[in-house]
Amino acid sequence: MNEFLAGLEPLLMYVFAFCALVGSILVVALRQPMRVAMALISTMIFLGGVYGLLGVHFIAAFQVLIYVGAVMVFMVYVIMLLDPRDPALRGRFSPLMVPGIIGGLLLAWALVHAVHGLLGSATSTPARFGLKEFSVSFLNEYWLHFELTSVLLLAAVVASLAVIKGASGRDRG
Amino acid sequence: MDKAQLLLSLAVAMFAIGMVGVIIRRNVLVMLMCMELMLNGVNLSLVTFAHQSGTTIGAVLVFLIFVVATAEIAIAIPIVLMLVKRKHTLDPDAYTDLKG
Amino acid sequence: MQALTLIVILPLVGFLINGLAGNKLGQKAVAVIGCGLPIVSFAITVSMFMLLMQTGEARIETVYTWATFGKTSFEIALYFDRLSAVMTLIVTGIGSLIHIYSIGYMKEDASFARFFAYLNLFLFFMLLLVLGRSLLVMFVGWEGVGLASYLLIGFWFEDPVNAKAGKKAFITNRVGDAGFLLGMFLLYNTLGTLDLDRINAAFLAGPVAVSASLVGVFLFIGATGKSAQIPLHVWLPDAMAGPTPVSALIHAATMVTAGVYMIARLNGLYLHAPEASTLVAWVGAATAFFAATVAIVQTDIKKVLAYSTVSQLGFMFVALGVGAYGVAVFHLLTHAFFKACLFLGAGSVIHALSGEQDIRKMGGLAKRIPVTFWTFAIATGAIAGLPPLSGFFSKDEILWFALASEHGGSVALMAVMAVTALMTAFYMFRLLWLTFMGASRMEHEVEHHVHESPFSMTGVLMVLAALAAVGGFIPIPHFLEPIAPLPKTLESMHAFHVPLVGLAIAMGVAGLVAAAFVYRGDLALPKRLLERFSGLHALLSGKYFIDELYENLIHRPLLWISDKVFLNFGDRRLFDGTLNGMASLAKSSGGVLARVQTGSLHLYVLLVMIGSFLALVWSWAHG
Repeated sequence: MNEFLAGLEPLLMYVFAFCALVGSILVVALRQPMRVAMALISTMIFLGGVYGLLGVHFIAAFQVLIYVGAVMVFMVYVIMLLDPRDPALRGRFSPLMVPGIIGGLLLAWALVHAVHGLLGSATSTPARFGLKEFSVSFLNEYWLHFELTSVLLLAAVVASLAVIKGASGRDRG
Repeated sequence: MDKAQLLLSLAVAMFAIGMVGVIIRRNVLVMLMCMELMLNGVNLSLVTFAHQSGTTIGAVLVFLIFVVATAEIAIAIPIVLMLVKRKHTLDPDAYTDLKG
Repeated sequence: MQALTLIVILPLVGFLINGLAGNKLGQKAVAVIGCGLPIVSFAITVSMFMLLMQTGEARIETVYTWATFGKTSFEIALYFDRLSAVMTLIVTGIGSLIHIYSIGYMKEDASFARFFAYLNLFLFFMLLLVLGRSLLVMFVGWEGVGLASYLLIGFWFEDPVNAKAGKKAFITNRVGDAGFLLGMFLLYNTLGTLDLDRINAAFLAGPVAVSASLVGVFLFIGATGKSAQIPLHVWLPDAMAGPTPVSALIHAATMVTAGVYMIARLNGLYLHAPEASTLVAWVGAATAFFAATVAIVQTDIKKVLAYSTVSQLGFMFVALGVGAYGVAVFHLLTHAFFKACLFLGAGSVIHALSGEQDIRKMGGLAKRIPVTFWTFAIATGAIAGLPPLSGFFSKDEILWFALASEHGGSVALMAVMAVTALMTAFYMFRLLWLTFMGASRMEHEVEHHVHESPFSMTGVLMVLAALAAVGGFIPIPHFLEPIAPLPKTLESMHAFHVPLVGLAIAMGVAGLVAAAFVYRGDLALPKRLLERFSGLHALLSGKYFIDELYENLIHRPLLWISDKVFLNFGDRRLFDGTLNGMASLAKSSGGVLARVQTGSLHLYVLLVMIGSFLALVWSWAHG
């Protein structure tokens, strides 16, 4: 069984990658925003799968938990809140479609060229790290980053409260 | 192609597609989601590099990106709400008050 | 404080006191300060002169070191030798007399204090000019007297004609000063010094790197401006717009003689500059001749005297041109006496006639203002060259050296000067006759108020007339021999010396007789002559139309260039256009660049994408 699964690994990798790619294209191409959100969620879940295949299970968990569970849920709420059937919406695509696509192709080519051969072929077997190693280094060496993230989240909370309160205050006045 | 190369190409593709999406789409919420797509592409590349090198700094960075993305969405959505309430449309071409 | 410095500084102190506080001090105090300080300067000069006669050596006083560059330094130094002594005595002596005269003349003027302040300022600069050791100090004085002249000509500046005359004097002087400066530069470049005594010594010692004639011509150009020779003589007749004491002091006795002094001082240079000397002599002769012709037809009493001054200065330059430097200074001295007397006498006449200056409206004044008449007559005799008055001696010397000097004398030169002497006598006696003799042609009101001038004015007239009478016996040329040796005279001409004296006397007497004949009685003869020679009369009255020539040749083109080329094209189109063009270029390019800011988020992100792409490509190209 293990050998079967081990042999399945590269195939799964290709499948997940391909599905993530398709999902991204759908994000850009679909008309209704709710469907776009669904496509994005599926892309993220497939990415989570890729992380799992790479061995960093905790990051995969974080991906699904935080990205899908918090961020995308919030986005879905807002999409449902705002009426997409906006009469002023003049179609899916902006006037800059053609230059955008051309620019995107160019950028993609340039980036691929940049990272080509950046990594050698699978060299030494890298030391796998699990959640334990991660937490230890996160809270020991990178404790400052940890504290700063809490500050950042606090700032985000305060800011969003301020934005909403300010807006509603002005409406009442 | 080997794993790292594949994943890096995917990351690049996701980043480019996300950027194109921001330029192309006319709905401000969809533009936000495309920006999330860009962030995911960057995350993927970071994880790939972290996997290759074996140090934990890569994973730490990934975690930090999660946090930042969350904070960013937490603020961006209320701003979009305010804008839409004022302009009554999701089309960003209507938000051109600051044009030169 | 050293004596020479004191001589120069005292008038400056007078200028400062009267200029700053004069209006508050009252006329009496202003007069005391304004006249007292020059008199003190004169007293010090006399004592310095006695000292000079005793010790026999020149006195040098360094007042102040002005500038030092490395090894060279420019100092303000004063130099007192025989020539400076003569000049300083003239300046302070006659200056003091004219100051005293001005007390009476300017009594009713509201700007009494300002007048004395300017007069003292003039004295200060003139003393700096004659006492200066280097050309630089002399130039400061040169410019300063030009400034004082401008201030005093335009003294009654409320009338724009006076202000214009002042401007004309100053600008014409400046044109000459350009030549003066060029001469100074040449001298400094070759000799490394501007000290007059050193320059003379260098030229007398041997050949010098620079052509003496070139320097001589340049310096002479400056002298034509200051001493009103052709072609820069046009300012002197217009300068009569100033008060009469100014005309007497500045434009007769002192400032206009600065050019003569300068060339006499640099005699060492001019002895070795034959071309320049010839130029000096013939320009002087031409000026003397033409000015005399114009003076014959002038109708303003002061204008006659102005042209007479130009003509007499021409005599002095002829003397300088033939190498008789001491004789020129002698004529300068006698001219100072009789011309100052003439001008002040004219002032007295104008004062008596309550401002009338047209001689056609005078006449019959001899009995009514006798002191003025007799002093005027003595001075007229002096200028005409009647013996034994002073003018006879100096003019005769000039004629002699014009004929016989080995340094450029010729029969032609002497002939021109002799004819000029004849004309001088004629127009001066014409002036005397028309002003004082014959029947009265005055207007009734004026005739009523004719009165003799106060003693402060007539006293000065008497002193000057006495000097004009006996001044010829002061042996100036002999006195100045150690500094300015008289030129050698041709042997062949020695036989003509005595006949020349006779000729000079004859010229003077002929002028007297002719004037008396033409202008006797009811003046019917002059009227007929006027009608016969109306064309010639128009030419002479128009002063040969030189002013109009300058106006059309120089003035109008300059104005046109200033207006069309410099103002319109240069200033407006070029400078303003460039600046405005740059501003509008910035504005329009700003407008073009602002098109990027459409406010469209899509465009901004597209630009980010393109920018990052380009950055990546650039990073490859540059490793």
